[in-house]
Amino acid sequence: MAEQTAQQTTGAPAETPASRGRYLYAVSRGLDLDALGGLLGLGDADVEAVEVDGLVGLVSSVDLDEYGEEGLRHNLERLDWLETAARGHDAVVQAAAAVAPTAPMRLATVFRDDDGVRRTLAEQHDRISAVLDRVEGHEEWSVKVLTRTHDEPPTTPASSGAEYLRRRQEARQARDDDQRDAHVAAEQVHDALVGLAAASRRLPPQDPRLTGHAGTMVHNVAYLVPRDLSDAFAAAVGDLTGDHREVLIDARGPWPPYSFAILEEP
Amino acid sequence: MTISSAATVERASPPPGPPIALVDLLDRLLGTGVVLSGDILISLSGVDLVEVRLRALIRTVRDEGDRS
Repeated sequence: MAEQTAQQTTGAPAETPASRGRYLYAVSRGLDLDALGGLLGLGDADVEAVEVDGLVGLVSSVDLDEYGEEGLRHNLERLDWLETAARGHDAVVQAAAAVAPTAPMRLATVFRDDDGVRRTLAEQHDRISAVLDRVEGHEEWSVKVLTRTHDEPPTTPASSGAEYLRRRQEARQARDDDQRDAHVAAEQVHDALVGLAAASRRLPPQDPRLTGHAGTMVHNVAYLVPRDLSDAFAAAVGDLTGDHREVLIDARGPWPPYSFAILEEP
Repeated sequence: MTISSAATVERASPPPGPPIALVDLLDRLLGTGVVLSGDILISLSGVDLVEVRLRALIRTVRDEGDRS
């Protein structure tokens, strides 16, 4: 950082001043920036392209007060900031993925300048290309399976301690049964869908406080589905929903292949 | 807490797909996506991010619950 400050005081107007960084949203292959139609990125900055040998890094300038290490540590704890950043990042990724094979970057991947982006894309060219090969022509679907909650209204108060304990035990038994049924259903759902997918990836179950569902999530899986099987996948989900009324099946998509944009170890 | 959305970005170019629930989006943006190393100023990595997300989200949910 000290070096940067020194450079600035020499008066040469740097392309990117020390207080600005270059935020990399995604790397696409053979993307024409015009196809994004003047898309704006975080903070309404212009999205620009940094090209290296067929790979197109989509970048915009961000303020390092906001996206530097210090600022980020603070901002990540603020949900309103996090949502704005995530939505802004996603808008660029969605637009790119709609027109070209696209590997989304992790949130807040920030470089000092375009040369840094260029060097990294050159160094990682083969690994990024491998990711693009994997996701090209594919979309991501999210499928979750949750237990249905019994909405038995609390009836009359228990007439005795024994009655109270019996009810509690029954309730616990019902919950255990629900969980077991849900795991069985989830396995059947997965077996039916995985055949239509090029890859699948298990994600941690989400906290019920965040999902808006009272049930327990027993299955949270991302499927990488070839675009031409999208309709078949959606139809299969529809059939499964009809066949498995004992659980709640929550399927969303198609999305950019976020869960499958992971570099293999070199 | 009112959540302000990145309306400006979406107005400029509406995402072609259906909007992703924030919890799903954060799972992906903080848990997956290409993590580059090398010539980088900032790069988020590691499972601590999932904790960050959960802390932020749960705190908000709890705040809203307290208020109602």
